[in-house]
Amino acid sequence: MKPTSIMNRATPFLFLAPAGIIMIFALLYPIGYLTVASFFDWRMGTPFADAVFNGFGNYAWILNDPNFHESFMVTITFAFTVVVLEMLIGVGLALMLERPILGMSVFRTIFILPMMIAPIVVGLVWRYMYNPQFGIFNKTLKKWGFEPIPWLSSPDWALPSVIIADIWQWTPFIFILSLAALQSLPRSSLEAARIDGASEWQQIIYIKIPLMMPVLVVAALLRMIDAFKVLEVIFIMTNGGPGLSTEIMSLQIYKTAFVSWELGRAAALSNVLLAIVLVITLAMFVYTKIRDARIARAQAAAEQY
Amino acid sequence: MFDHLKKTLITAALIGVSAGLMSATVQAADPYAPYKGTTLVVNFPAHPHYDAVMKVIPKFTEETGIKVEVDQLQYLAMRQKQTLELTKPKGDYDLLAYVVFSKADYVPANQIEPLGPFFMNPKLADPNYDPEDLVTGYMQNIGVAGGKKGYLPGPTGALYGVPFGSETSVLGYRKDIFEKHNLKVPETYDELLDLVCKIPELEPGMGGLTSRGATGHQVSHAYLLHLGPLGGRIYDDQWNPIVNNEAGVKAGEALKKILECGPEGGTSFGFAEMKNAFLQGNAAMFLDSTVVAGEVDDPEKSKIVGKVGWAMHPKGVRRGSQTGGFGIAIPSNAQNKEAAFLLLQWLTSKRVDKLIAMEGGNPSRFSTHEDADVNAKFPHMKIFAEALKHADPDWRPIIPTWGEVNKELGTTLSKAMTGEMSVKEALDQVAERAKAIQDKAGYYTWQQ
Repeated sequence: MKPTSIMNRATPFLFLAPAGIIMIFALLYPIGYLTVASFFDWRMGTPFADAVFNGFGNYAWILNDPNFHESFMVTITFAFTVVVLEMLIGVGLALMLERPILGMSVFRTIFILPMMIAPIVVGLVWRYMYNPQFGIFNKTLKKWGFEPIPWLSSPDWALPSVIIADIWQWTPFIFILSLAALQSLPRSSLEAARIDGASEWQQIIYIKIPLMMPVLVVAALLRMIDAFKVLEVIFIMTNGGPGLSTEIMSLQIYKTAFVSWELGRAAALSNVLLAIVLVITLAMFVYTKIRDARIARAQAAAEQY
Repeated sequence: MFDHLKKTLITAALIGVSAGLMSATVQAADPYAPYKGTTLVVNFPAHPHYDAVMKVIPKFTEETGIKVEVDQLQYLAMRQKQTLELTKPKGDYDLLAYVVFSKADYVPANQIEPLGPFFMNPKLADPNYDPEDLVTGYMQNIGVAGGKKGYLPGPTGALYGVPFGSETSVLGYRKDIFEKHNLKVPETYDELLDLVCKIPELEPGMGGLTSRGATGHQVSHAYLLHLGPLGGRIYDDQWNPIVNNEAGVKAGEALKKILECGPEGGTSFGFAEMKNAFLQGNAAMFLDSTVVAGEVDDPEKSKIVGKVGWAMHPKGVRRGSQTGGFGIAIPSNAQNKEAAFLLLQWLTSKRVDKLIAMEGGNPSRFSTHEDADVNAKFPHMKIFAEALKHADPDWRPIIPTWGEVNKELGTTLSKAMTGEMSVKEALDQVAERAKAIQDKAGYYTWQQ
């Protein structure tokens, strides 16, 4: 082979090398360390050299731990509820605000404001609003003659309260992505639909939503991954309580590491969370791949005529 | 004969005088002189007591020529930073304040210095230090390790730190409400629990006793406040969990009643919410740490200025108020240990303890609690001194596994408080988990 052709073949790898090196240090090394640590009984404050190897002990403990089971269910409930509701509200808002309205840019800025606020602040703001004594919600309810709601102090209400706060904060994310997708839809398809006499609803259901799908899937995936990892807002609002009613897995990891000082078990828990998120992400990718393939087939079939 | 006696007397007198002169010259020599110009790096929490300390520290530099650089951190963040510092071969901190339960981690890991050698060093130890005057319960709880059960005092114990910014629990009550309804300040738990639900009936909208109730450390702390006085413990002397015995369940039921009759939303209260409910006039009583005393009469923070009376933590089958807060210790990897000891000794000396108390800190000495000037400025000090005599060093175990046990206790108890399970069920579950945790950590090695 000629040197120039070697160079040509090597160039892409050369360009990828910096990113690859960063990946190794920033991603593979921590995950490797995490995996190794998860097999040890390692207490915070002691050097890793003193940690005792205990095989799958940490994983066995986690799988037998009723607290983990509860926390797992809380995480799943939280993640799916927020993603579904945020998708519905976010896409709905985008469809409503798509057409040019006076002062649209002002609206848009207001709508994405919650996303720009630091999570700790969001947590504090909601915690104060939910406060049974000074909070605006219960004050208003009382003024209107309703019974006050034990927002964060009852196990039945705590998770919905946390979900409401998350929806408030993250719906804008879905909203701006959907809006961007809507505005870049091919005008020709919409025009064709209109000429064929499609109603507004038909346009939305048969044209807009299917065409937005690739963006929506990615948006939902991003939100899902985020929802599995959410920590700060819940940490501030309820710290997982009452009981374990809002203890999502990342909070349990935090507590295992920094309250119980069990670093090994926290590492194992992190790996379990990582595995769950990985499975969901892969499932989503496989789904989109299958879908793309089906569309491609349909397109090929259509082009034959 | 008489001559001889005279001579001896004169010699004796001369010796006496010269000895006096010598000791005078020794006194004039400055024990701080060898360390003049040293800079000590100190880690303190952001806490009302330490805010008062900050006002006094410049005096130390002025008197001794030793400079002090203070790294003040939020007290929950402090622990992580200290863990990092203490595991380095050469640490940056010369003196640090530690939360009482850190004792269980720092002492077994040899990360803080035993103080015996310093107190035996004639060049460092001040003969007028008067250790007897340091509050006994605090000393045992915060300072001593290696006695009974490892964390309690006893003949095998040694001193690792000195209490500094320690707290105990007291009962605060609204004088105006108690007078209005002609109520008696509760002295026993029966009286307290009786009153707790009577107050909301007498004063609609007002809770009986404000209490922490949020999941985790908060509700666990509230429970422990009642557990000791009602006769319970987490573990017996063989480390068998006894938290679910009759006394333990009684304490749980008591807390549940307190939360139910307390200000609204108690099961989500942390320390701040609990305190604010009292300061904003939403509860007639307060039973928690003494640190709140400084804020009660601060019109910026409190709506109940001048309306609060103080009493001892009520008695159950025994008296027992909490012991907690901070101690100061010298890290084993410190670089200026002697000078750090001098600062530790200076800060906890009688004179400086009073100075700090006058600035609003929590005194560590009995004499400061009884001091006339301090009492004139803070009239509640006298009750606090009385409460301190019953401070219970064993109100919670200070063992390396405590963090984990506390977490179990806090989450499970929280479920009992919101009615997801009964108190007995919850405590049975805690006991079972606590046993597994102790077992894993090797506490049953000596059990047949």
